[in-house]
Amino acid sequence: MNQTPRTLNRILLALFGLLLMAAGALAMALSTPAVATWWQSTAARAGGTIGGVLESTTLPGQRDSWLWIVAALLLVLLIILMVAWVANQGKGRSGTLAYDDSDTPVPGSVTINAAVAEQALKAALSERVDLVNSAVSTYEFRNRPALKVRVSPRQGVAPDVVADEVSALVTALDAALGVQTPVLISISGGARTRFTRAERVR
Amino acid sequence: MTDETERLTSEIIRRETHSSRAVPATILAVLVILASLYLMLETALKALGQDPWLLAPEDAAGWVGSLPAGISPSVLAAAGALVFLLGLFFFLAAVLPGRKARLSIPNKRAAVVVDAEVLASSLARRARVAAGVTPDQVLVTIGRRLVEVQVRPTSGIPVSAQVVQTAVEDELRRTAVDPVPEVRVAVAESGVIGQ
Repeated sequence: MNQTPRTLNRILLALFGLLLMAAGALAMALSTPAVATWWQSTAARAGGTIGGVLESTTLPGQRDSWLWIVAALLLVLLIILMVAWVANQGKGRSGTLAYDDSDTPVPGSVTINAAVAEQALKAALSERVDLVNSAVSTYEFRNRPALKVRVSPRQGVAPDVVADEVSALVTALDAALGVQTPVLISISGGARTRFTRAERVR
Repeated sequence: MTDETERLTSEIIRRETHSSRAVPATILAVLVILASLYLMLETALKALGQDPWLLAPEDAAGWVGSLPAGISPSVLAAAGALVFLLGLFFFLAAVLPGRKARLSIPNKRAAVVVDAEVLASSLARRARVAAGVTPDQVLVTIGRRLVEVQVRPTSGIPVSAQVVQTAVEDELRRTAVDPVPEVRVAVAESGVIGQ
């Protein structure tokens, strides 16, 4: 429930994937003479056109076309866009659980820090013996704060029992805070659950 | 739960049970950045009127245009196949549904997703207790539509597949995963000794 741009990921992966597939298929097909002749004549024509363009954009007194500078700048732009794309993966952690600045009933603003919910839930969850580990974090999802509760139960613990008890804690938190945020309860395994003993007594 | 929260909750469930494709996206971005950095260096050198570092852009373009001349066909085909496979990896990452091994449990307040691994270990515990065997003798595999339980009984002590089936189905019904998978129990012909 972070702000990873999923649609953009799929579009760009499909686009670059198709480009690479086309290039690879062409390279494999070049061993047949017919494709090789077609490729060489097409490349020669394209090369001629590009050469003409480069010639016509060379300013008098200069050795090379100014299009090279444009090309270098476009590549810089592409690099910046790619860095921005990577930086957006997994983004969305937030520090605010609730915010209200309406003027009713009294003017002023109220901010509830994410640490309130995180520490309250974490404290409640850390007392439980059937959980190996728990983590609570706040994300900004669709412009609204949302809570993510990740718990790792011991081997063999029924997930529905854990889900019910954690959601009861969340309901209690709702009542305490007076706001209801979307909540994700993620019951996950992991290395630590595999190497700890199964719970025998509850 | 308000309508807005409910809508966001179902969206969260969808997002959590499907891959975000962050890993292939990051790999692709790094590859594009590296290629662009090199191209940018050569173009900038060209624009400044300096000598090329490895290969001038026009020479490179000319070499690509004259393919398959000047390279052995098998090397070209192998390189092409490699590039094709790389492209296929990214393309499949984009178009496949990308389901994660996670199931969702209906809940009145929150979006609940469970790793298949966690559910499997809870089903294995019920199956183990029903069959009266040790944890090593039960193996549970969870698919989207099918839960397979394999039990290897202790030698000389028969295990009823029906009892195990009922126990596992009861546990699945309590968990209320959505969609409910079918349960198939297989009791091994040969038992294990020394348990």
